[in-house]
Amino acid sequence: MDTLIALIQIAIGAALINNFVLYYFVGICPFLGVSRRVDTAFGMGCAVTFVISIAATLSWAFTYFILRPEAPLPTWVWETLGGDPGTKVDLSVLSYIMYIFVIASSVQFVEMYVRKFFPPLYKSFGVFLPLITTNCAILFACLKILAELQDPEQLWGLHQALTLAVGGGVGFTIAICLMAGIREELDMCDVPKPLRGAGISLIVAGIMAMAFAGFAGMDSGIKDALAMFLK
Amino acid sequence: MVTPVTVTMVLAAVVLSLLAIAMAWVLGWANKTFHVEVDPKVEAILDVLPGANCGGCGYVGCGEYAEAVVHADADVALCAPGGAGCAQRLAEIMGVEVTESAPYRAVVHCAAKRYQRLQQTPYDGEVTCASANLVGGVQGCTYGCLGLGDCTRACDYDAIHLVDGLATVDYEKCIGCKACARTCPRNIITMVPFKCERMLVVACSNQDKGPDVKAVCEVGCIGCTACSRKAELMHMEGNLPVVDYDRYDATADFTEARKKCPREGMLYVGKPSAEDLAAVAGETLPDRVEADFRTTVDDTEWRG
Amino acid sequence: MPSHEPTAAERFINGIIPENPVYRQLLGMCPTLAVTAGMKPAMTMAAATAFVLIMANIIVSLIRGLLKPHLRILVFTLTIATFVTIADRVLAAYLWEMSKALGPYVPLIIVNCLIISRCEICSSKQGPGVAIADAVGMSLGFALALASIATVREILGAGTWFGLPVLSATWWPTWGVMMLPPGAFLTLGLLLGLAEWIGQKKKQSSA
Repeated sequence: MDTLIALIQIAIGAALINNFVLYYFVGICPFLGVSRRVDTAFGMGCAVTFVISIAATLSWAFTYFILRPEAPLPTWVWETLGGDPGTKVDLSVLSYIMYIFVIASSVQFVEMYVRKFFPPLYKSFGVFLPLITTNCAILFACLKILAELQDPEQLWGLHQALTLAVGGGVGFTIAICLMAGIREELDMCDVPKPLRGAGISLIVAGIMAMAFAGFAGMDSGIKDALAMFLK
Repeated sequence: MVTPVTVTMVLAAVVLSLLAIAMAWVLGWANKTFHVEVDPKVEAILDVLPGANCGGCGYVGCGEYAEAVVHADADVALCAPGGAGCAQRLAEIMGVEVTESAPYRAVVHCAAKRYQRLQQTPYDGEVTCASANLVGGVQGCTYGCLGLGDCTRACDYDAIHLVDGLATVDYEKCIGCKACARTCPRNIITMVPFKCERMLVVACSNQDKGPDVKAVCEVGCIGCTACSRKAELMHMEGNLPVVDYDRYDATADFTEARKKCPREGMLYVGKPSAEDLAAVAGETLPDRVEADFRTTVDDTEWRG
Repeated sequence: MPSHEPTAAERFINGIIPENPVYRQLLGMCPTLAVTAGMKPAMTMAAATAFVLIMANIIVSLIRGLLKPHLRILVFTLTIATFVTIADRVLAAYLWEMSKALGPYVPLIIVNCLIISRCEICSSKQGPGVAIADAVGMSLGFALALASIATVREILGAGTWFGLPVLSATWWPTWGVMMLPPGAFLTLGLLLGLAEWIGQKKKQSSA
């Protein structure tokens, strides 16, 4: 039960309070570029959520078993070679390269899979998939998971990593759809010429960030509420 | 020497190489297993098509049209931006004959500038033709151009603008994608085959007669039928003349009909003639400043 | 096809203001918003990005003959990832406080659209000399952009600049919002508008 409440906290944290776009500033390029219409924005959000979950799973697995300081694989190799158990072999220097590799390959794989088995789905968001490879949001989710895995007290399991990833993706989708809706309305407004396009979108994003800041404290509030209910 | 540093470096190299090999193998397998059979003809057609994804052919994008041509017997001459050359090459790829056809371009069937429209009332609503059309009463003529710019916003090629409140097509830029024709809430933009550089068009859509038209517009067609009696390619449908574009060719002579017209009912539209260009050669073009919002994602090239 | 390829010097000057990565090309917005709460983190990030950009451009330019078209993005990304790892470790070793403050944004240089875009556009097609000039120009432009935003945010938000007090705390109520995400978005949006306005004024006066 505590685990479930902790997972809900992580999810709400990633989706609303520490929204990837509006708090951590990742994924700004697609946020500004693809948010002209709500349907394309939603497609992009779904694609990002999809890829983020796959990438997070794979990178969690690699980090847990190979890359963190006390990981099983290097420890096993070290001890087999007769090394003294006090010093550890730390492969975490490979983290970034490995994450990028994982993300690029999984996006490629997903694109091929979706194109073969879900052609209508491919038509609706297939064109975004190559763009997502360098979407900061995916790499950011992996880096957050890495941070939690490097902290020996936290040592997140797959369930926490996946909740963060999906929560982040959902938060990204919410933010991008909201922005798309606002921009559709902005199209009919008389925006001063210098601010048209990127300028006004960023100002709107700033106001959205202020709005989302109102979610602060919601995770502990929900935790208390749920703890009361489920006692 | 089995120091931690050596083991780290060797293990790092080994892990990376293994990962690279594993990923390459998986992707190679995926490439074969998930291979989607793409007819080479579709690829060839995609190369020929302009790639503007304008939707003028009636399909969502050039990719869709290419597949429809190969698999669904779509007509090879539907691509307006590609024009006759593209249709010819598509016909060669598909091994069919193509008939010579003229490019279709948008024509606005209204000639009334804002100061020529009568019974206008001040309109403070949403600045779109669709809204003004619904509200009604914005101007006397219920058939003609409202001049609020829905067509200008629909055009992706900067080919239609509002000049004195009248939608005016720039025939140097129009590619015939029909976006403006689809958007116009009064349906006064039609696609006309441009068999010559300048074509005669009926520049009015008002289906009322005589005094009713004069009450709402200074230049609209009053349905006097003088033109249709003088020109053999024109006939009346209701109170408006219609030009027969199927039989239209360069020898068609409308001078008599135009002399007889008491209003500004018929105009030649198209690319500017040599005399027109010479007349304005001395003037400079006013600068039109537009915001330049290029993002990395809007380009079709890969950006992150 | 361009009528002439820009020379190294032209590319260098281009990158600073005419094709400024943040204000004109709208690339690299993630770090621009994230680290500009103060001048110190902003300049550290600018230095790190400069290092990665220059080194990556050099390497990609040297191996440009070997790049297969469909693998080139992956090769760029891996090269950049290597140099980012180096930069990250150096920062962690010698500037621990700053490294902690910058947090996950140093590894995010890997997916900074700016670097991959320069590799794709310039260094995969030009020799090392031109690539270096391009990289240095772009880095200066990026640093300039970061500095402009960080200056506004730090002075208005904390009354300091590079940590040195500029506006006395007795009469300047520090604008907390400037240090928070909304302030970042608003500052960048308004500064983008300013840059656009200046650009348009220049076009009008030169036209």
